[in-house]
Amino acid sequence: MTTDRERIPSLDDPDVLVQTPATIYDAIPPLTPRTEREAEFYQLEDGEMFLNLGPQHPSTHGVLRVVLKIDGEKVVDLDPVLGYLHRGVEKICEYGDWHHAISNCDPLEYVASMFSEALPVLTAEKLLGLAVPRRADYIRVLAWELNRVASHALFIGWLALDLGGITPILYGFAERDEIMEMLAALTGQKLLFNYLRIGGVNGDLNHDFMSRLGDWMSRAGKQVDSQATLLNENEIFVNRTKGLGVLDQATALRFGMSGPPLRATGAPYDVRRAHPYSVYPELEFDVPTRTDGDSYGRYLLHIEEIKQSLRIIDQVLHQMPDGPVMAKLPRLIRVPPGRAFAALESPRGQYASYAISDGSDQPFRFRIHDPSYFNLQAIGDLTRGHLLADIIAILASLDPVMGGIDK
Amino acid sequence: MLRQLDDRLSEHLVVPAEVMDDTIELITWPASLPALMRTVREDGDLRFELLADMCGVDTGVTMQVVYHLWSPLSSDWLRVIADGLSRDDPRVPSVTFLWPGAEWAEREAYDMFGIEFEGNRDLRRIYMPPDYLGFPLRKDFAMPDDASRGPGEGIRHMETPFAPGDVRRDPVIRTSPGAGARIGPDGERLVIAASGSVDKDALDSGVIVEGALDSGRGPA
Repeated sequence: MTTDRERIPSLDDPDVLVQTPATIYDAIPPLTPRTEREAEFYQLEDGEMFLNLGPQHPSTHGVLRVVLKIDGEKVVDLDPVLGYLHRGVEKICEYGDWHHAISNCDPLEYVASMFSEALPVLTAEKLLGLAVPRRADYIRVLAWELNRVASHALFIGWLALDLGGITPILYGFAERDEIMEMLAALTGQKLLFNYLRIGGVNGDLNHDFMSRLGDWMSRAGKQVDSQATLLNENEIFVNRTKGLGVLDQATALRFGMSGPPLRATGAPYDVRRAHPYSVYPELEFDVPTRTDGDSYGRYLLHIEEIKQSLRIIDQVLHQMPDGPVMAKLPRLIRVPPGRAFAALESPRGQYASYAISDGSDQPFRFRIHDPSYFNLQAIGDLTRGHLLADIIAILASLDPVMGGIDK
Repeated sequence: MLRQLDDRLSEHLVVPAEVMDDTIELITWPASLPALMRTVREDGDLRFELLADMCGVDTGVTMQVVYHLWSPLSSDWLRVIADGLSRDDPRVPSVTFLWPGAEWAEREAYDMFGIEFEGNRDLRRIYMPPDYLGFPLRKDFAMPDDASRGPGEGIRHMETPFAPGDVRRDPVIRTSPGAGARIGPDGERLVIAASGSVDKDALDSGVIVEGALDSGRGPA
């Protein structure tokens, strides 16, 4: 009697025809270096090997694939491979009208989508020369700062998680979930809000939102403090972040970086102050900077920024004016011909867009500048010569979001 | 700031520097780009150190590469447009010698527009697969599915089955505002009229009218 095991056809059996299904990969020619840099990278010295990190690696914050050239545990060089999440948002925006662009830009920054959806709004308003009602502006700032706190709380948790600490992310998610529920009460959606409109916001503050906000404000920042207590002087955390991934100011500027990675090197570049938009000039807040420029500095900076955001939220709630939340506009907006560049400070840095309008209701060209894309570029310079495990920590400290990077 | 820019850069500018809202705009030739960028970045009175953005643009007439810079000395953005790149063979000097961070942005512009950046040592596709042909953000790029039929019609294939006869045969070209481009009533024909208005007869007969595409530098 034959067992099941014996009935399994063997590859050595000449009767078994092994066929590889034709896949899309058959179309890809064998790897020949296309550029000088690629030729240099894919050349192995003695004792070196390639290692693929991602695209399904959980600590790459999405679908980032990094080809590592390693010598033992030491990273000699790396080559990030992008495009696994590429949807062609810029092209899609050219085929819909300006209102479509808002919801198309939403998933770019899926951790803080209140910022990415503001891009077509701010750009179109600039082209239209439109003044937004003051109440709408204040509501926007409120929503932005709440979302910034949520995003930063998650960042702190992720950074600790990538270093092997589970607890801080539970605090981070608790904080974020509370804010997301709050924004869901305001906007109707919990992740991709689609709340901002050209000329204002979609709906006024409501009772559910305000009561949740009041409840949260009474103990705001406590969860962040708990995270900070867990991490600030944690020996393992400090050892694995302090002095690692050090970036100097000149390099950060040459890489076009922005946001916390740039401010951690001492450059006080925050679009809210460097090129004020909305009602930020009327609000009091500081732009925290540090001079160490390492992963630990970037982490401390995020905590400082949460405190500043809470300061802004407090002022906004006290100064909130009455009035309409939408400017009077026709439903189909024809944007006058011209070009405009608008930028705003997202939790990851400067989000910007450059739009060309041909006078129709669709953008002729809509360029999206994502801060993570430029921040991630420095990963090669930051990690060369470091240990493999430190790459994960340094990557997490740059806080990339692949939705925006891959567009 | 405007006067200093004009003084130092006059020989590189196609037209004098112009202020648009909160942006100072410089238009230059591709060949002048490296010298101009070096001046605005390294001159002590200008100090545009931060590359705020860099992107390619296809106006339907020419290609452009657009840079946005920021200086701690001024709250205005500086927009530098390298204009007049040929659409058949767009070439422009790379700025990676000043901003290594422009490398990926240039790769993206190459990927999406086919613009060759001379001096970028890693100019390969960044989003699309290596064996991909075509440059998606160019205006003459034909989208193979019916999302290219026109605004709002991209959802059609989800509502009704896609009939094989529906596949469009002519590429959609949205050109610059100088030449108006419209898609025909059944989304099948492209009409370009030189005056900027739709040529009604041509629209009805489904004849493609080649329009005058020489309206200068593209969108206003």
